[in-house]
Amino acid sequence: MAHIHLEDGSFTLFWVIVWWLCALVLIGSALFLLRIKKTKDVKKITMAAFVTAASFAIFQVQIPIFGGVHLNLTPLIGILAGPVFGTLIVFIVNIMSAAIGHGGWGLIGANVLVNFSEVIVAYLSYRGLKKVTSSLFFRAGIATFVGLICGNIVMIAIILISGIQGITQSTLQILTGLSLLAAVNMGVAVIEAFITGLIVAYIGKVRPDILEGTVS
Amino acid sequence: MTLFKDKKGIIIFGVIVVIIVIVALTAYSMTGPMGIEERFNHALGLPINQEDHGNNWFGFSIEGNTLLYGIILAVLIVASFVSYKYLKI
Repeated sequence: MAHIHLEDGSFTLFWVIVWWLCALVLIGSALFLLRIKKTKDVKKITMAAFVTAASFAIFQVQIPIFGGVHLNLTPLIGILAGPVFGTLIVFIVNIMSAAIGHGGWGLIGANVLVNFSEVIVAYLSYRGLKKVTSSLFFRAGIATFVGLICGNIVMIAIILISGIQGITQSTLQILTGLSLLAAVNMGVAVIEAFITGLIVAYIGKVRPDILEGTVS
Repeated sequence: MTLFKDKKGIIIFGVIVVIIVIVALTAYSMTGPMGIEERFNHALGLPINQEDHGNNWFGFSIEGNTLLYGIILAVLIVASFVSYKYLKI
């Protein structure tokens, strides 16, 4: 859900390269972890394909709430595919989104970092919440909120660190503006939490073995 | 004990929902109705371009090129079903 909706040229070339390098390190680490794994989890590959398609499909749809927002199901990716596959999934979704004109190519690195934070925090929260509640719906719902809040914080941090070319606003003004934007974004997190909760609860009912194998 | 754990889940979830809805509505009332890109440009002090989303179904619209969206989505769906058929789940 958190996504830096800016055109190419908003960040300086230096910061575009920095965020791309950070993202490439993450992607390289994910590929390395998959490569050293002795047994290939082929079922997880299928799950990764499904969540990639679902995330891409829903990410491009602007929903007429609060003037226009969209979901991206990154917490669901974290819960169902785990952080290793999740890193690759968010990279693929961001590449394909840029390919159709949704988001700049230069911002893919930064957006992968934002989405990765949502994936890993939702994954860890979902697993950690097992001690708090046995309900899959509430575990997934709360993990979604935590993941998306974290994603918004990372998004704001990246913009503040990078700075935006061609604007005259102070850091405080940018922080205020982005905080309001994140607050409106979080309104949609309620919908995303319900969707994620319902999907996870349904899978837990019909195929609990899929959720038991979410460790990667 | 299990009942208490379940109640804990609904309480935490409910409290988060209420807080987020209040915060989101307050922020929305301060900023007004805007598309996501307009909202971004407004937050950063960039010139605001009116968003044009072409095809619009009951307020829902596709960001970017709709044809490419359809093609890529079709490829992803086919890939998902191929992996489901050969790798199972």
